[in-house]
Amino acid sequence: MTMKQSTSAAPLAVGLTAVAAVAAYFWAFLSVESNVAVLGLLALAALAAIFSRKIAPSLDRAMDEHDCVMHGAILAALLVLIALFAEDHFPLLMFSTTLLYMTAALGLNIQFGYAGIVNFAGAAFFGIGSYTSAVLTAQGLVPPILILVLGGIIAAAIGFVLILPVLRTRGHYSAVVTIAFSVLFVSFLQVNDVLGGPQGLSVGAMSLLGWDFGTGPTLFGVETSFYVNYALASVALAALAFTFTRRLERSWLGLSLDAVRLDETASACCGIGIRRAKVLAFGFGNLLIGLAGALFGMMIGYIAPTSFTFSDSLLMVAIVLLGGMGSLWGTALAAAIVVLLPEKLQVLQEYRFLLFSVMVIAMLLFRPQGLLPRGVRRFVPGWRPAE
Amino acid sequence: MDIGLLGQYLVNGIMLGTMYALVAVGFTLFFGVLDIIKFSHGDVLMLGAFIGFSAYLGLSALGVSNPWVLVVCLTVIAVAATAALGALIARTLILKLKSAPPLNTLLITLMLGIAIRESVRLFFPDGSNPKMFPPLLPSSAMEIGHFTLRADSVILVAVGLILIIGLNLVVNRTRLGLAIRAVAQDAETARLMGINYTMIVLVTFAIGSGTAAIAGIMNGLYYNEINFGMGLLLGLIGFSAAIIGGLGSLYGAILGGFLFAALQTIGAVALPFASAYKDVFAFAVVIALMAWKPTGLIAERSSDRV
Amino acid sequence: MNTISRRCLGVFAAAAFAVTAVTPVLAKDTVKIAFVGPLTGGTSSLGLGGRNSAELAVKLRNADGKSKYQYELVAQDDECKPNVGVQVVTKIAADRGVVGSVSHYCSAVAMGTLDIYHKFGLPMIVWGAVLPDITYSKDYPEIHRVNGTMINQNEVAAKAMTAMGYKTWAILHDTTDYGKGHNLYITKYLTENGARVLGTFGVTADQQDFTAELTKVKELNPEVVYFGGLTPIGVRIRQQMDKLGINAQYQGASGIVSEAYPNGTGALAEGTIAFLEGGPIEKLPGGQYFAAEYAKANYAQPADAYGPFAYAAAMLLIDAVEEVGPNRKKVTEYLAKIKDHDSIIGPITFDDHGQNSAPMITTYVVQDGKWTVWEDSEYASGKRHLVKK
Repeated sequence: MTMKQSTSAAPLAVGLTAVAAVAAYFWAFLSVESNVAVLGLLALAALAAIFSRKIAPSLDRAMDEHDCVMHGAILAALLVLIALFAEDHFPLLMFSTTLLYMTAALGLNIQFGYAGIVNFAGAAFFGIGSYTSAVLTAQGLVPPILILVLGGIIAAAIGFVLILPVLRTRGHYSAVVTIAFSVLFVSFLQVNDVLGGPQGLSVGAMSLLGWDFGTGPTLFGVETSFYVNYALASVALAALAFTFTRRLERSWLGLSLDAVRLDETASACCGIGIRRAKVLAFGFGNLLIGLAGALFGMMIGYIAPTSFTFSDSLLMVAIVLLGGMGSLWGTALAAAIVVLLPEKLQVLQEYRFLLFSVMVIAMLLFRPQGLLPRGVRRFVPGWRPAE
Repeated sequence: MDIGLLGQYLVNGIMLGTMYALVAVGFTLFFGVLDIIKFSHGDVLMLGAFIGFSAYLGLSALGVSNPWVLVVCLTVIAVAATAALGALIARTLILKLKSAPPLNTLLITLMLGIAIRESVRLFFPDGSNPKMFPPLLPSSAMEIGHFTLRADSVILVAVGLILIIGLNLVVNRTRLGLAIRAVAQDAETARLMGINYTMIVLVTFAIGSGTAAIAGIMNGLYYNEINFGMGLLLGLIGFSAAIIGGLGSLYGAILGGFLFAALQTIGAVALPFASAYKDVFAFAVVIALMAWKPTGLIAERSSDRV
Repeated sequence: MNTISRRCLGVFAAAAFAVTAVTPVLAKDTVKIAFVGPLTGGTSSLGLGGRNSAELAVKLRNADGKSKYQYELVAQDDECKPNVGVQVVTKIAADRGVVGSVSHYCSAVAMGTLDIYHKFGLPMIVWGAVLPDITYSKDYPEIHRVNGTMINQNEVAAKAMTAMGYKTWAILHDTTDYGKGHNLYITKYLTENGARVLGTFGVTADQQDFTAELTKVKELNPEVVYFGGLTPIGVRIRQQMDKLGINAQYQGASGIVSEAYPNGTGALAEGTIAFLEGGPIEKLPGGQYFAAEYAKANYAQPADAYGPFAYAAAMLLIDAVEEVGPNRKKVTEYLAKIKDHDSIIGPITFDDHGQNSAPMITTYVVQDGKWTVWEDSEYASGKRHLVKK
């Protein structure tokens, strides 16, 4: 017992240091403005990526053996980041956007990381969530917290329109179903004036039991940014989505989803209901995406069809693939890269997307499996393959 | 409706269908051999058109003025350049990611597409604006009432169809085609049979990209206008067409291409409410078709190995 | 921590002292002005033209020894998407060093960011977005616009065209807010002037093939084909009209008044007519100066139709700062009182909503591959003729 303790204390220290270092890095990355500093930080990240290989085993063990402590530390780090940025609107906006995109990407992860259903309409379901909150906040009959939930439910419900073709098709064939939906969705919104047409709609602010998210809370005599509210809400939503996805992955349902993805025929032979598994995964995924979209709409305050095009869906898919399919931490990391990097490249103005795409290509050549590929499923917590 | 107008719609649809089919054929080839979606296909097409356009400018500057010579030369230059680029892409990106999940190849080609598009926009002189592609084919037209048939349209459709049929013959009747099909069915076994796997992949990518260049130039010659974003929607539609047709045969690509063109034309003409809904209509039909025929209209002949 | 920061401060102070000791005492304060527009994507040609023009304004003022401050342009890309617009506007608005912004080509983006300008009290001047709601929907003192709205433009366009004797129209428009708005107002004013709209067709912004719509247009046989949208589609439609042998006058909205239109259309562009808000730039003395300086600066992209507006807006902001100092509130107050302010697009007067109430509308026609002011063209003098049935 004592032996084990002494060996596992070291990984914990490594783990906590890593969390602190990553948090400090994000603080720096969100605060810096000058080109030189951004480039310096990117170089630092590249160095860290090489160094991280050395501490990866300890980090893995820390996550395994000190599950609660590590997750608590990460949550605390997020809250500290919010506190540090309490008065800075822009970093908080980017911070919340990253978390909401991560939540949506977690939804996609359930769909194709686990169940193998390719979804190229992520931005469309995200948009359904946003539009739900736009319409419902305008009417003002439903309390905003319920609107969030409804955003998710309606996204899932509309998703079920596609369920028949999604169930019947596989691989590339199913890709075309969601691609078609994604194009159809934007085209429809632009042509049809009921939902604001191409001009878009404004979205009301979130409020919770009389706590209006539109104004910044005054804490300890400091008037904070109103984005603090949304940052807190985004942390809550992302944490919830993360826990949910993690639980799902470790459950029997997650196991059958993996089986369905890897071999439909074999899993059908083992008595797994393929249809049921796929329907559940597709529905849950869209629910998460819709939830994130609903909160995103309220935070941004104004939405239009051009924000939810096929290219935006592709960006979401890029988050999942860049992180490594099925890898939750990978998704979090990739969401930060995909959301923050183009923004930090604003100094390059018209050249920024060119550089962004080249950087992603380089990352994939460097790590073809994604940045943090999903490990082998562990049936027993703490079990790892013999070294 | 006037019979002349009906004929006009038919001709428009056939022209559009040929264009879509040519793009779809490229997708079918890439799927067939490596089982990947190459999302940069549309942008390679655009690049082909721009290379052709540059070649035209260069040749005109050298004093070549015969339109037929120009068309042939610029096509050859564009096809050669994009074919080389295709092989290069396969060599440096696609084969490198062979061990990764196939979807990661999708991501890398997607990013490559953005890189190509942005490069043309930024580095081609005044690339963010549309360019006028020279009308090099004879524009004499036959007019009967509302019906106009132009010689250039006829030539383009003929060339497009001959190209697709030729490709089909190459894939199904030659030793090279045999090798391509062997790799498509089972790369491992094909290697054991002494087929140079890397070579076949490179050649397939060269052929596919070359086809894209021809489609791009056809596009330029028909619409007399090219722009950096032209590959985006064409790629998307070509991909959808390849899928609805079925990935099993090149004829599926033709079928899918013409079907999509028909849907769009019908959507624009026959929808009584508003023509703006035609894309909504076309893509809704695609979804319905996929529900009805999950593996495309010409289904792949394959069985699950259990 | 404390001692470290104090030590750092000491070093900085020493460094700053050294720098000030070397540079002349006259060093001016730097004032930041933002520019927001689409620098990537389909409408980037207009965004880049606007960016270059605003940059030119800043450059010229800095080179001019008389200015009190040194100006710096912070250019941001909104991708023509409201969510990205909200991001970048939050960024510049939260930066207290930015005193004002020359913002937005895309109307949906402008609509989405209005609240942020108001919340942060950042004065902004729209340089390209044409949706009337931007200035009229809300009573925000920070919002101004130097270009006219699509209402003015289409009112003049409908009057001018019907006065020439045209009676029947077919309208094509893209399904963005720009195209849909133009469709709405041109239809309204055409009907008021007694003309008939035979058919209306919405097309998507990335559509390549218009033969289906145009075949229908051919069947309707209108005298004028109107297109509400931007240059790329404008070029394609003109090319394909010829393919199908449609013999009608082609009329565009302000979105096709760019060098790219005649360049992309070639000989077919001849005789295309379009209306643009603003005075005839080429004829105003400031306009010639602008064109000459722009050519001298050697930008990779042309200024395009809205470049002069971006230039005028940036100049106006700089004038305001020169007058009242780099203070957002004072600049807003100053802008509210702008009346007959001299600029390259004609005198600027803001009404209660911050809308430039004296925008002139100029008629342009393509003659020999160049957009020419109607009054100067051979079409007005009767030497050449528009397409008439």
